[in-house]
Amino acid sequence: MNRAHKLVALLFAFALIAAACGDDDATTTTAAPATTTTAAPTSSTEGTTTTEASGPTTIIIGTTDVISSLDSADAYATADWELIKAFNEPLLRFQPGSNSVLEPGIASLPVASEDGLSWTVTLRAGLTFGDGTPLTVEMAVDQLNRLLNTELQASAPNQVGNTLAAPYVESIEAVGDNMIRFNLLGPAGFFPQILAGAPYTIAHPDIFAAEEMNLLPEAPIYGLGPWTITSLVTGEQTVLEPNPFYDGMYPAQVDRIIVQRFSSPSAMADAVREGEIDVAWRILGAEAADDLRSVEGLHVETIPQAPIRYLIVNHSQGRVTALPAVRQALAAAIDRDELSDVVFGGAVTPLLSPVPPGFLGANAAFEDAYQSPNIQLARELLMSAGYSEVAPLQIRLGYPPEHYGVTTADGVLLVAQQWEATGMIEVETIGQEWSTYVSACTNGTVYDVCVLGWFFDFPDAENYLQPFIEGDGLGTMVLCPNPACEGVTAPNIDPRLGELLLEQRAETNLDARAALIEELQDVYAQEVVTIPLWLEPEFIIYWDWISGDPNLPNQRTLNIGPDFEFIYSVLTVNR
Amino acid sequence: MHPFVLMFMIFGLPAVIALAWVFTRGGDALRRYIVTRVALTLPMVVILVSVVFVVLRVMPGDVVSSTLGPKATDIARETIMEELGLDRPLIVQYGTFLRDVFTLDLGNSFVGARRPIIDELGERLPATLELIIPAALFALITGIYLGTRAAVRRKRPSDYGLRMYSVIVYSMPIFWLGLLLRLVFSVWLDWTPIAGRIDVVTNTTLERTTNLLVVDSILTANWSALGSALHHMVLPALTLGLVLSGVFLRLTRINVIETLQEDYVVAARARGIRKRAVTYSYALKNAMIPVVTVIGLQVAILLAGAVLTETVFNWPGMGRYLVQRISSRDFQAVQSTVAVFALFVALISLAVDVVYSVLDPRVKY
Repeated sequence: MNRAHKLVALLFAFALIAAACGDDDATTTTAAPATTTTAAPTSSTEGTTTTEASGPTTIIIGTTDVISSLDSADAYATADWELIKAFNEPLLRFQPGSNSVLEPGIASLPVASEDGLSWTVTLRAGLTFGDGTPLTVEMAVDQLNRLLNTELQASAPNQVGNTLAAPYVESIEAVGDNMIRFNLLGPAGFFPQILAGAPYTIAHPDIFAAEEMNLLPEAPIYGLGPWTITSLVTGEQTVLEPNPFYDGMYPAQVDRIIVQRFSSPSAMADAVREGEIDVAWRILGAEAADDLRSVEGLHVETIPQAPIRYLIVNHSQGRVTALPAVRQALAAAIDRDELSDVVFGGAVTPLLSPVPPGFLGANAAFEDAYQSPNIQLARELLMSAGYSEVAPLQIRLGYPPEHYGVTTADGVLLVAQQWEATGMIEVETIGQEWSTYVSACTNGTVYDVCVLGWFFDFPDAENYLQPFIEGDGLGTMVLCPNPACEGVTAPNIDPRLGELLLEQRAETNLDARAALIEELQDVYAQEVVTIPLWLEPEFIIYWDWISGDPNLPNQRTLNIGPDFEFIYSVLTVNR
Repeated sequence: MHPFVLMFMIFGLPAVIALAWVFTRGGDALRRYIVTRVALTLPMVVILVSVVFVVLRVMPGDVVSSTLGPKATDIARETIMEELGLDRPLIVQYGTFLRDVFTLDLGNSFVGARRPIIDELGERLPATLELIIPAALFALITGIYLGTRAAVRRKRPSDYGLRMYSVIVYSMPIFWLGLLLRLVFSVWLDWTPIAGRIDVVTNTTLERTTNLLVVDSILTANWSALGSALHHMVLPALTLGLVLSGVFLRLTRINVIETLQEDYVVAARARGIRKRAVTYSYALKNAMIPVVTVIGLQVAILLAGAVLTETVFNWPGMGRYLVQRISSRDFQAVQSTVAVFALFVALISLAVDVVYSVLDPRVKY
């Protein structure tokens, strides 16, 4: 062997030896992991799980979500809220696995005043941040008022205060030593659901100053929740360890949670298949999830509720969709079962009303109104509007080819085919890149119909109805009461649409409110404000040594319920 | 100490010392050339990022729509655009941009946590360097060695095989090759990790200073982290390096064949010098001159390939960062990242030209 060959062989051997020295066993840990920043890690606790007593227990959760903000006065994304609620328990919470059972968080269930214009909560005694700082009611009110601080909100990239606080809350004040009163701008029966959101957590004043945003602070990040973020490598990894001062209902069950970010769903799918991660959560498509079902020991579960996909129908004057008969024909021609079977292999649930099943007042308004697919009805409606096979309706249908994935794009194209199957509609489908598509879809000047996805800001029917009715309706232009919309809305919209929306909002009796919401959905379907299509499935994939709490709903999905909240504290390891 | 400073000490300082040595030892012409090239680098970068500035602002879409989506209210849009200075006239924005360029202020990102871009790049540039350096080394060593072998065994089966190899690897799309290698070695054979720079749990034990995981592991004597980092590096570097090895193989082969036919090589053989010595000590050295030139050009290809490789292997580098920020219309991040890329390519090209003149004394600038 000549010298060059020897050199190459030596280099190769060195690389192999060095690689072999690497310890890639995902379950081994060391003591006191170093953080990526300068602060010292919190004191580690012995695991309180049912696993072996020796050695810390770690669960690795993979995700493709990007963390963009951990400041509760700014954060608006699902992934951000999930982490915020891990280190910072909100005032109220939904029972893990449920979106309808409100429980006390760091405060009692709220009590409404007689006129419904204020809600009062009582803070739990002895609340202490993860660094030992005790919480006072003044501190709590100052931190909550960050949501109403207009100067502070002006610098917030995600503007959550202007969406989930300012439209509802006039002021927040301390009452006595331990009570907080929220004074509202108008009655809102769903306000307790809003209080269960991440914006209404009380951030540590030393980390999140009252007058300044701190979107991604350095670790450790302390809060009032069951976890402390001990390491945060942006775009890569978040490490959480138990908060020793937490005394709430859901303490940590393992010694450490590592949330590992993946740039692509396929890499995450491969990682969970190979056991490099214990749990894969958001966002895996139906096809990737199906591939993993055949792996022994791996659980692939569908979350019972999901974000929705729907069509924005443009009611602006001058649009073909300004005519009620045209809108109703489009609604009647849709075959949701075909969409589910052809595009998703039956994996999605057709959505028959704007409010998904499981929410207060949900019904099947579109099914009741149109019994779609109803080609005969669609044709009759189109003929009444003056269209025929010789003079077909021309529709511009927009969609983003990449943002929601190929399945949504395929679904939209199938919808176009279903409309054209009436023989009286010609559809021009236009794919547009997301950052330009959003304004084109919602400004009401480009498309007759366009597809969007929606995930609630708070789990209540209000948040599936109001955004599409009031204001510009995210492109529906159905009411547009503000002066900017004058002369733009279609005539003869049923006034009950706006009236019922306000009535149900102010109603605090659940049964009465449910009846109002049902009636509102019926009017909504008659006016075809939007056309609901399907519930987009979300999947949780985990190995059989991971389990949720059997005493809580939806243990099969690791206690992730219709509100999509992943509560890390319910997780245990058994191997 | 900021990762950029540390990386300069590791890579930049030796390069500066080498440049200074060449500067002092070289002739007037070479000194003039080096000064001119260094002086031209800044205007080159300014022109390039100015083009990017115009293209980004002409391109449809805005940062608010791309990040907030349908939940972007008019109030939110106005507030954010004002906060980011995007509501000001273009000429004012360009003036601010030029000021930032000349004061070397990379600014803050427009999206997410609006972190200083220098911090974001400080986390991602080391990841990209840790990908492209081993990829380049693999491509060079493999390509040059195999190219020489192919030249020496010209028109024999091994020559044909190696030429076929070079065409195949060069024409293969990088992302497809990466997915294929991941499927075979990570999923089927379980020899290599699926994705990432380091094992998830081991990562929590590594104290990062430079964000070059290999260097940080050595500095902290964390040998399990070193092994894990090297183990994770194998497949992504191989993916990127294989494609380039085809280029170097063919180029080396052609140049070695030509050099072997030169009179001085024939004379060396006639004097009884062993064939291996003639090939590697005489011919290859002279055949390397054009190969060195191509290395500089291939750096840009490496960076482009890094974008795809980083996505396939979940490698948190600058390429992936750039793609994400273009989608988000984060003008500041895109401009700053392109500027860093341009500077990087310019400096590598300068180094290549200087090495070229050192290798071949006949070259005069």
